[in-house]
Amino acid sequence: MNESRRDFLKTSGKALCMTAVATQMQHLGMMSTLAQKVKDTEPKQIGGDNYKALVLVYWSGGNDGNNMIIPNHNDATISNYAAYSAARQPQGLALDQGTLLPISVPRMGGLSYGLHPALGPVTGGINNGIHELFGQGRMAVVANCGTLVAPMTKAQYQNNSVQKPYQLFSHSDQVNQSQTSISDSVAFTGWGGRISDRLTQGNNPNGLIPMITSISGAQLFTAGQSTLPMAINNASTSLASVLNPAGFPNNAAGNARRTAFNQLRTVDLDSNFVAAASHVTDLAIQANTALQTFQEVTVPFPNTNIGNQLKQVARLVKKRTDLNINRQIFYVQIGGFDTHNGQLNQHTTLFSQFSQAVRAFYDEMVVQGVSNDVTTFTLSDFNRTFNPASSGANVGSDHAWGNHMFVIGGSVAGGDFYGLNTGNGTPFPTLLNGGPDDTSSGTSARGRWIPTTSVEQYAATLARWYGLPENQLGEVFPNIGNFNGSNLGFML
Amino acid sequence: MVNQWPKALVATFAVFVLLAVSHLQVNAFSDENPNSPTPILITEPNTKRALAVPAWKFNAEDPTAGAEQIHQSGSDVYLFIYNVQLMKGEGANAFRLNVQDAKGRNYRFDVTDLVPVAIKGYSEAYAIRVRLRDTMGFWAEPINNADVAVSVTWRGLASEKRLLGHGNTGGPMADLLEKHIAKAKTSETDGSDYVANRWSGDRMRFLQQAGFGATSALDWRVRRIGVRAFLAEQLDAPYPSADNPYPDIPLKSTDSTNVTIGCGMFPDGTLERRICNRDHYSMYPVQKWFFTEALYGQPQLKHKVSWALSQIWVISGAGGVTQQSSWMLAYHKKLSENAFGNYRQLMRDITLNPGMGNYLDMARSTRNNPNENYPREILQLFSVGLFRMNQDGTLICVENNPCQPGDTPIPTYDQATVDNFTKVFTGWTFCNVGCPNSLPSIVNYKDPMAIVNVNNHDITAKTLMAYEGAPNPTIPACSGCTGEAIRTYANASLEQALDNIFYHPNVGPFVSKLMIQHLVTSDPSPAYVGRVAGVFNNNGWGVRGDMRAVVRAILLDPEARGDVKTDPNFGKLREPVQLATNILKALNVKNAALTGPSDGVLTNYTNGIGQNPFNSPTVFNYFPPDYTIPGTSLLGPEFGIMTTGTAIGRANVVNTMTYGQINAGENTPGGTRIDLADLQALMVADPTGNLVLDELNHRMLHNTMSSEMRAIILPAIAAVGSTDTLGRARAAVYLVATSSQFQVQR
Repeated sequence: MNESRRDFLKTSGKALCMTAVATQMQHLGMMSTLAQKVKDTEPKQIGGDNYKALVLVYWSGGNDGNNMIIPNHNDATISNYAAYSAARQPQGLALDQGTLLPISVPRMGGLSYGLHPALGPVTGGINNGIHELFGQGRMAVVANCGTLVAPMTKAQYQNNSVQKPYQLFSHSDQVNQSQTSISDSVAFTGWGGRISDRLTQGNNPNGLIPMITSISGAQLFTAGQSTLPMAINNASTSLASVLNPAGFPNNAAGNARRTAFNQLRTVDLDSNFVAAASHVTDLAIQANTALQTFQEVTVPFPNTNIGNQLKQVARLVKKRTDLNINRQIFYVQIGGFDTHNGQLNQHTTLFSQFSQAVRAFYDEMVVQGVSNDVTTFTLSDFNRTFNPASSGANVGSDHAWGNHMFVIGGSVAGGDFYGLNTGNGTPFPTLLNGGPDDTSSGTSARGRWIPTTSVEQYAATLARWYGLPENQLGEVFPNIGNFNGSNLGFML
Repeated sequence: MVNQWPKALVATFAVFVLLAVSHLQVNAFSDENPNSPTPILITEPNTKRALAVPAWKFNAEDPTAGAEQIHQSGSDVYLFIYNVQLMKGEGANAFRLNVQDAKGRNYRFDVTDLVPVAIKGYSEAYAIRVRLRDTMGFWAEPINNADVAVSVTWRGLASEKRLLGHGNTGGPMADLLEKHIAKAKTSETDGSDYVANRWSGDRMRFLQQAGFGATSALDWRVRRIGVRAFLAEQLDAPYPSADNPYPDIPLKSTDSTNVTIGCGMFPDGTLERRICNRDHYSMYPVQKWFFTEALYGQPQLKHKVSWALSQIWVISGAGGVTQQSSWMLAYHKKLSENAFGNYRQLMRDITLNPGMGNYLDMARSTRNNPNENYPREILQLFSVGLFRMNQDGTLICVENNPCQPGDTPIPTYDQATVDNFTKVFTGWTFCNVGCPNSLPSIVNYKDPMAIVNVNNHDITAKTLMAYEGAPNPTIPACSGCTGEAIRTYANASLEQALDNIFYHPNVGPFVSKLMIQHLVTSDPSPAYVGRVAGVFNNNGWGVRGDMRAVVRAILLDPEARGDVKTDPNFGKLREPVQLATNILKALNVKNAALTGPSDGVLTNYTNGIGQNPFNSPTVFNYFPPDYTIPGTSLLGPEFGIMTTGTAIGRANVVNTMTYGQINAGENTPGGTRIDLADLQALMVADPTGNLVLDELNHRMLHNTMSSEMRAIILPAIAAVGSTDTLGRARAAVYLVATSSQFQVQR
């Protein structure tokens, strides 16, 4: 610690807050990106060829995947539109087949499936949405993916012979499991954070900000054991202001006060709460210096919360060379998917916002020349019950399990479905309440699909592309060995 | 120059100022000393090494015989403490062992047994049995070939750190400990009695725990009558304050724009339209009323407990779900009515409250189209929680009780239970006809929900939670029932189901721990939770769920009381509402012109840093109760909204409060500003700023300001021109209020 701290001070023009950082790191037993960087003063190749980023778009509240990807065919040998309609039309939750945006899916024998209409061009939209990216081979679907401890059949689910994820169908627990990838015990670090712990030093040795940035507050996904994320406001605040402490005039009194403001974080660290508050503030002050200049993005983004979140991500990607950073992970979130009632209108609004923002982001990455280096992917709490909740104008759906995910980018083997097969020989679940993929049987069964692909397999596929070495997969994803394969094949 | 006044004159003036503000000094003789003694770990003679005996060698008759220096990871050892005075029933779970290894990482070992022992030279000594195994679970086990530093915590106090050979002795910890001790000597706090002001640290902390912060008036009230009498006064105070009644806002049409019964009678863009929308279709009047009561109201405790309850039983205006201020006001009245009432009544009143019925969908749940939202959350968030607990809040596991690391906790209920409660809760909806507040074309968000259409209630049999002594583990079907018989059955079933929840043994520890976290400390000791849960289970008169007794027990517990808390894990990060009100109340908050009270429109100070009152993002509140501080597994719920962005945001809020104000305007009729005149006077009396820092130390830091902290702030005060007393006072306030030392209430 002493050695690195000395170097730290030597190589830094901001000795004061560095000391604070180092002290808090020591106190909390943490080494930050900042503390680690002193070991290697030569920058690695930055930006350009070696840059990669993962962008998680989290659908908060549990997205109803059953109304996002819908059979658009009449093949009677597999769940078709009629099967979907029969289960959802009576309460008014089924989408009209004519409104679906068709995609042709090789993995499903070339049959047509349909995306929710709001995922294409929409009234008042500023781009064509994400639907056409599927056909262009830039978007893949991972079907029936969810939290699992180990693979599980319906019989095993019902006779408890395989360990279930703890507290299925509960928001907070399933959010935690999606974001930690660990479903057999409570975990304190997210899988993004654990990747950051292992790759920061090698890839961002002189990074001026942490590897992970959240544009949506503190999230378990971003928490590492030895590294912490930066969390900032969306693009409605400029990068120069997001972490700038206001009100220090540039005179003797202002400078003396700023000095004291920074020095106070170096003392009274015996309290773990004080140390933690000081640590977060230090991280912010450090990043603030690096964020004072930035260039605006080129592509228009929608002026929505998710649009402004992804716009802020795009600004940081554009600034990657300045920030001395080779690998970045971003967390953005769109909330409101807990559609127990009034789902049809809400879902349309949410999907429209999601699709417009993600498409703008993809287009901006193309303009920046990094569309092959930036992969956007989704996660959610869970899918929702195939059987609707309430009815009529109020119709919604309840908490369920296995769900469909999108992966978007130039390095995605798009235009197809991925994931392990269910009993029907495809990765797409059989759409039948009480059917072979439902947790329950009988008339009260509500259509909660048992996932065939685990969050860990999905995450490991992304992490490997990002550069996590094979021999560290098991450290980041402790239960990956329980599953058949850690590469779902959707990344080129 | 002011700072060249003769010292004697300065001193005289200072004394005068102090006398002026302390002429009413009366110690509250009815109060006992709130301070618990600090436990001391017994060491080997003349060393810093804790005396430790392997459990298998331990003999209570000759307790320290068999002491060894090296102890294996995972083994049980006895350590020895003295200087504690135990209450009746206080045992091993009142103690925890904090452990630090040479990497600076923190661990916690559980204390599993406590044995009174006789050791020569020490009166009232105890042997504590410790398993050398981390129970925090964040890092792997501590270094197992060197000394670690251990410290016993009890009632928010920590013993000095001592060495313990973990796998071996030696390593750098002995040196680190010496440095720590040397440093501690130079950074003693200013002391708790600098103006002969007995127990002022405890008193100011109490006012922040039991309310929204200390004003000098509240401070004087507690000084005069003591904490216990003040608490009794608060428990019976009328609520809300007579001069700040609940706003009387009528229910409006759910269509705000186009109908005359909404705000559509006023043309677009007019002031009337804007104000009508603001007052009826936003949380603005609720927030304004809420902050006014927090800043100036008399019944601080009921306001605080209601605020805590509103963060447990969450409904929210976010996304327009709770559309109208009148809906939220009706809801808040139910919370405050029951804040010192019985938890069972609260459960019933909220279950049937239309605001909750709308927020978590019970109002739309019917036999044929049931909705699981409310049934799931009443179990998970409002009553029993996910896993079985002991009375002290520790989890019961399949393998061990309490759980050991790696054990499997036992779920309190499963999906089938949720399905069955869902059936019970079907059929209720808004009472739009025939209730006291029913009006044509208006949804009734004031009266309790009712079974309007009996056919919407599920009359099949239900299987509820089964536990020892469970009332109503099953509810039989209402076979062949029709009409009124269904209504009667439904209402009876609801009571039975709520009883089935209420009598579950988890409810006491679950509710107690949440309330402790909101009022006092984020990571309470199991003993503290257990004591409060014991009161929840039985208030002494055989009554379960008496919240008046629970609140009293939380605030008078020795873990809550005491002048200086040294346990490194004691306290909580101030949530934004508490941060804003604590600062403003400590600094004589007024309107922008300093001519009267603030208007209470303070959301500019809280929304940007993660807390928009009555607009929680989800039912999970602004932050989850089980959020752990990054880099540890220490509970710190409020850290859930403490990020790089909000950390700077907090400093910027303080900057606005200190150097700016909230101006009067359309939505801020009077504005808000702090008044530093009294601090300026102290700055005149003592231009060095020491007197001002004394005062801020007293008002804001519970007298915990270290000499180091003071030494850092003083030059920043001196850098402001000496005639600019306001500038100097502001510099002091800014630095204290932005400091992490103040951000944490401890």
